[in-house]
Amino acid sequence: METTKVKKETKNKIRVDFERAPLSVRLKQKFLSMDFLVNVVFKIFRFILLVGVSYVILYPYIAKIFASFMSISDFKDVTVILISKSPTLEQYKYIITDNGYFLALLNTFLLSLSVALIQTVVCALVAYGLAKFKFKGNNIIFFLVIFTMMVPQEALMYAMDTFFATFSKHNVIGMLLSSMGAIGEYGFENTMAPLYILSFLGLGFKNGLFIFMLRQFFKGVPDELEESAYVDGSSTMRTFFTIIIPLAIPMLVTVFIFSFAWTWTDDFYSTIFFDSTYEGAMKYMSDIAVVPESLEKYTNSGTSYANVYSSAITGTASILIILPLLIAYIFVQNKIVQGIERSGIVG
Amino acid sequence: MKSTRKTKNAVRLSYSSITATEEKVYPISLVNDRPLVVVRRVDEEAKEEPILENEALDNEALENEVAFETTEEAPNMEQAQEQAFENEAKKEEAEPQEEAFFNYEPENAQESLDKEAFEQVQKQEPQKEEEIKLDPIQDEQKPKKKGFRLSLTEKRSLSGWLFVLPFVIGILFVYGPIIISSITFTFVDNKSIFSADGYEFVGFANYANVFKEYEWFSDTIVDAMQDLILQIPAIVIFSLFMAIILNQKMTGRAVFRAIFFLPVILSTGIIDALDVNSSLMDSMQNSQGGIDDNTGGEGAGGIVSALDIEMLLSNIKLGTDLVKIVTDLVNDIFDIVSRSGVQMLIFLSGLQSISPAIYESCEVEGASAWETFWKITLPMISPMILVNAVYTIIDLFTSADNRVMQAVFGGYGSVYYHDTNYAMAGVMMWLYIIIVLAVIVLVALLLKSVVFYQRRD
Repeated sequence: METTKVKKETKNKIRVDFERAPLSVRLKQKFLSMDFLVNVVFKIFRFILLVGVSYVILYPYIAKIFASFMSISDFKDVTVILISKSPTLEQYKYIITDNGYFLALLNTFLLSLSVALIQTVVCALVAYGLAKFKFKGNNIIFFLVIFTMMVPQEALMYAMDTFFATFSKHNVIGMLLSSMGAIGEYGFENTMAPLYILSFLGLGFKNGLFIFMLRQFFKGVPDELEESAYVDGSSTMRTFFTIIIPLAIPMLVTVFIFSFAWTWTDDFYSTIFFDSTYEGAMKYMSDIAVVPESLEKYTNSGTSYANVYSSAITGTASILIILPLLIAYIFVQNKIVQGIERSGIVG
Repeated sequence: MKSTRKTKNAVRLSYSSITATEEKVYPISLVNDRPLVVVRRVDEEAKEEPILENEALDNEALENEVAFETTEEAPNMEQAQEQAFENEAKKEEAEPQEEAFFNYEPENAQESLDKEAFEQVQKQEPQKEEEIKLDPIQDEQKPKKKGFRLSLTEKRSLSGWLFVLPFVIGILFVYGPIIISSITFTFVDNKSIFSADGYEFVGFANYANVFKEYEWFSDTIVDAMQDLILQIPAIVIFSLFMAIILNQKMTGRAVFRAIFFLPVILSTGIIDALDVNSSLMDSMQNSQGGIDDNTGGEGAGGIVSALDIEMLLSNIKLGTDLVKIVTDLVNDIFDIVSRSGVQMLIFLSGLQSISPAIYESCEVEGASAWETFWKITLPMISPMILVNAVYTIIDLFTSADNRVMQAVFGGYGSVYYHDTNYAMAGVMMWLYIIIVLAVIVLVALLLKSVVFYQRRD
């Protein structure tokens, strides 16, 4: 094999003399080996797979976005695929004006922010109690947490509705609150207060999952940290807030993001606690996903393209609903992975 | 060497002698006339009273105790305490003096020291030091600590209750009553739920009626089970596969991760509900020239037409059941992908927790990637598989687009909204929950026998 002598100086001023095989031989060795081939095939396969699955995930959103610019004539026209022939913004325009998008945005933002904060704190407290303290009934309470996850919320719809509608009559907390004048004679009507109550008690949407995730995280925190704090005379609460909470920030951020997003897109609590037809009712995100009045003339015809059009309109509404979330998600998505990665959730 | 050690000890001894002489000057001397010099005490008591050396440590509490002991005829406690206080007070005043003594005292001490006794002391020293370290703890702190410990466990369990208090209150006063009233509805005549006269209990009549009036219910449950038997492994395997790929280093990993977790954040609640009832996706697929397969898949059908696959597979002469399974999975691909977000996160966290050292040693031993997966990754991740299987079951069973949930709580034609038969809906739901519980317990038991738990210390 022919070799050439090479002198090279590295960045750190180290001079090296060595013999180098000719370029063709080196290229052959690098690119014609089995390892390289397998590696390349694997990488291509992986990339195609990832792109394919990403497409599956993104397709509904993409379809909705394309459909949101279509006008009614595009739905009549069979030749229109994705790209509109007469693009228009009237879907966006009427949803924003007729359905009161910005008001709903503000209301939902405030609701999600406060509910997510409450749920994060309460779930962290409960999870810490379950993870780090041994007391009688610990396991029973953990089972109850799992149980709240298992019961579909729809199953409790009517019971929950009547429970909060007659809150001041049949409940200790309700009687207390109504004697203080905080709630009406019967209970809650057309207010989101029940959601706050549920959040304060760790019973909100998927709070069982949050408690479970945080519990697993806290179990992974070494006991020595707290013990040394206790030896130094720190109280339990102080230890929790000054030692445990800073450690758990990534996980808490993850829980907060989940809670925020799930309250944002919630359509369960806002429908059962809320009669959106009621005069002067607060509008939330779930209320704007209806066909705006100005477009009803097109969708009421009963033809198949009219149905598709109304679907396109609700699709547009859902784009508007998730748009703020999506923007926030782009900034925080790293945190979600980090939080879970560091948690070391182990069954 | 020895000399230096000696002088070192001598320093300590002389130091103690200072305190002792001071003790002589102050109240102790009133009780005991003998001059208290450390040398003599070493002579007399070193063998029985090793605590004497305690004085070498400048532990004030100990000094008091020693002073107490040297008096031998111990006065009553009050006196001793008074003495101790006075001692302390005087010592504080005398401290600079002590330092002054320090400089010339060693020689003095050495002179007055009986050498044999000194050597004895030195021999015993290691033992003594142990005792010194143990004794004060036992005498002073242990009783105190014991009491603290007792209250500590109580305190701990109390604060444990304090932490879970919100949830306990919630269960007792909100969730419990809701669950109970929800169960009560199942034993009540449906019409009486809405009347003002109170509930009319009918016993188990509603339960009996489920199988008479709503024959489809049992069929739906069976269908839902069949779906789940397919979907649960599909979701768990898919999410494990994807988590492993997303855990590898590559360009654009962050982007792919972001896309894969998108449905967790966005495909919930109202968005999910809108997608279920949307005819947009179907029409989009149709206009793309796909075959209308009426499967109700949400998107993705445009990529692979189920009918094509069906034809392909039946040409290979596989059984029709297998063909159905595959086509079902293909139709459900969007569902499977969008439901594996949380599972992927859990698997990712599990993969991160496996020590890279294990993989390194595997590589050194010459294991292939395939072997490494089966021998290392899978056993190490198996607890996550259990967690994920249980989570997937819960998630699928309680999701709004589940067959049973659709039939009971869905939009048109459902028991809840269309028939407004709340009692019957309750019956169905509770039967369903019991079945789900049974499935979860079954799966958990099955998997638990397979799961490998790494021994952690």
